[in-house]
Amino acid sequence: MSRLKTVGKLLFFIGIPMIPLAVFWFFPMFVSIWLSFTNWDYISPTFDYVGVENYTTTLTSADFYQALWNTALFAVMTIIPTIIIGLLLALLLRKGLKGETWFRAFLFSPWITPMVAMSIVWTWIYEPDVGLMNQVLGWFHLPQPDWLTDSDTAIWAIIIVTVWKNAGWAMLFYSDALSKIPNDLYEVSHLEGASGLQRIKTVVLPLVSPTTLFLAIVSAINAIQAYDQIQVMTQGGPSGSTRTLLYLYYQMAFEQFQMGQATALATIIVVFTMLLSLIMFYASKRWVHY
Amino acid sequence: MDQATKHSIPRYIVLIVLSMMMIFPLIWMLLSSLKTGEEIFAIPLKWLPDTPQWGNFPGALELAPFGLYIYNSTVTALVIVVFQVVLACMMAYALTQLQFKGKNVLFNSILMTYMLPVAATYVPSYVIVAKLGLLDTLAGIIISNIASVFCIFMIRQAFMQVPKEMVEAARADGANDVAILWKVMIPMSKSSIFTVALISFVQMYNNYLWPSLIVKSQENYLVTVGLNQFFTAQGTFSSQWPMIMAANVLAVLPLLLLFIVLQKWFIKGISDNGLKG
Repeated sequence: MSRLKTVGKLLFFIGIPMIPLAVFWFFPMFVSIWLSFTNWDYISPTFDYVGVENYTTTLTSADFYQALWNTALFAVMTIIPTIIIGLLLALLLRKGLKGETWFRAFLFSPWITPMVAMSIVWTWIYEPDVGLMNQVLGWFHLPQPDWLTDSDTAIWAIIIVTVWKNAGWAMLFYSDALSKIPNDLYEVSHLEGASGLQRIKTVVLPLVSPTTLFLAIVSAINAIQAYDQIQVMTQGGPSGSTRTLLYLYYQMAFEQFQMGQATALATIIVVFTMLLSLIMFYASKRWVHY
Repeated sequence: MDQATKHSIPRYIVLIVLSMMMIFPLIWMLLSSLKTGEEIFAIPLKWLPDTPQWGNFPGALELAPFGLYIYNSTVTALVIVVFQVVLACMMAYALTQLQFKGKNVLFNSILMTYMLPVAATYVPSYVIVAKLGLLDTLAGIIISNIASVFCIFMIRQAFMQVPKEMVEAARADGANDVAILWKVMIPMSKSSIFTVALISFVQMYNNYLWPSLIVKSQENYLVTVGLNQFFTAQGTFSSQWPMIMAANVLAVLPLLLLFIVLQKWFIKGISDNGLKG
């Protein structure tokens, strides 16, 4: 009787929440891998197994390597500034400044706004002739690129928007980590005559390293999944210069309906993400202090 | 002026400059939405409109039903969040309070899911939504989003901090599991749960890629989908920029108001419950 009760209890507490999780997460994950070995085109009801053909096609296409490079560039160039700016903002905001809450709210507010809306605003800011960005650059006699229509600058324009949106979010995590550093540690280093910079290097950086690891992993996963800003601002162009792996996947699946190839690419993206998380976890053992 | 305040003047200046830079795109959006077509294209830059063109707002609403879009997004996000939180509370309860075989496997597979790009599931999920006959409906968006690994994690984190003695005391009083969840765990973690719900709401309101695949007809557009459609349709006519900015303001405003009112909860929540790597 009590055994039956236990089973019923588990079915209730685990079984019910597992249904949507299984239907829209676990099951699609496996189906996606299975589809990657077929040539399904979404429209026809039948399909053939094609072995690893989708993978070889993908891994030998120039589009894939261009997208891979774009993704790597985009990820590295958004993660590093987001983390550095986030930490700087948190350091600036420390110890009960007057107006702290207001500053924090201002700095964090970009994170609240929809990326689609903000990408439209930034498209206007980047407008080559009358946009704010180039007018301001003009005051300082700096070069005024065409931003979104120039294949050299388009990805940087998207990187700037992404960092702008996420820096305040990283700041909150660092603020929390900093508030947990015991005051004595500061005082000791102060007595030892450490300068501000030295103190950051020897006290702050090691103690916030778990936060840095966490932010690096989450930002990397977010960077791999970036879509909204690319869709609104450049649609992957000009000439594929802002097409990331995920955007390429979207185009294959939902513009060209090559489901086999698209799911093969999805599997590759998943493998990359897993490798990245694993590498970060193991690398972290060397420099993260818990 | 005392020594400490003097000392922090450079800090204030840097903070003010940085805060201005962060909110400037929002201010620029608002200013642009109040300009005439000529003012917005003025060279050199015209910071302020001569007379604020409030008419741009009704103008944008005439071109596309943004009220309806905002309503769709709000309702969809609310319903999703209610489901997400209830289901996550149940799962978090099992993960923290029940003993069973395979608990670690279950937890690790959920953890893995959190690391994976959700987009990788989109092709099969799309087919599932189609098979359920829910393409081009808000129900399709809702049902495919009610599982939230993020909520499960955050609520599990909160439940782990509930003192064991309280659970044991309730159990000694003869409370069953549903009662413990409802009367002990949830009340003890309500501020965390509220924050999780808030963050999830913002994410669902701002969600774009997946909803844009599911909904096709205008009456079902979420605000992000409607906004980008509007932008694509009007963007070719450069004189429409003030209208586009007005539409943007309308889309962002509900969230900004929510943030202004509940600011403390967002910030406190993210820093108190932040998932630690």
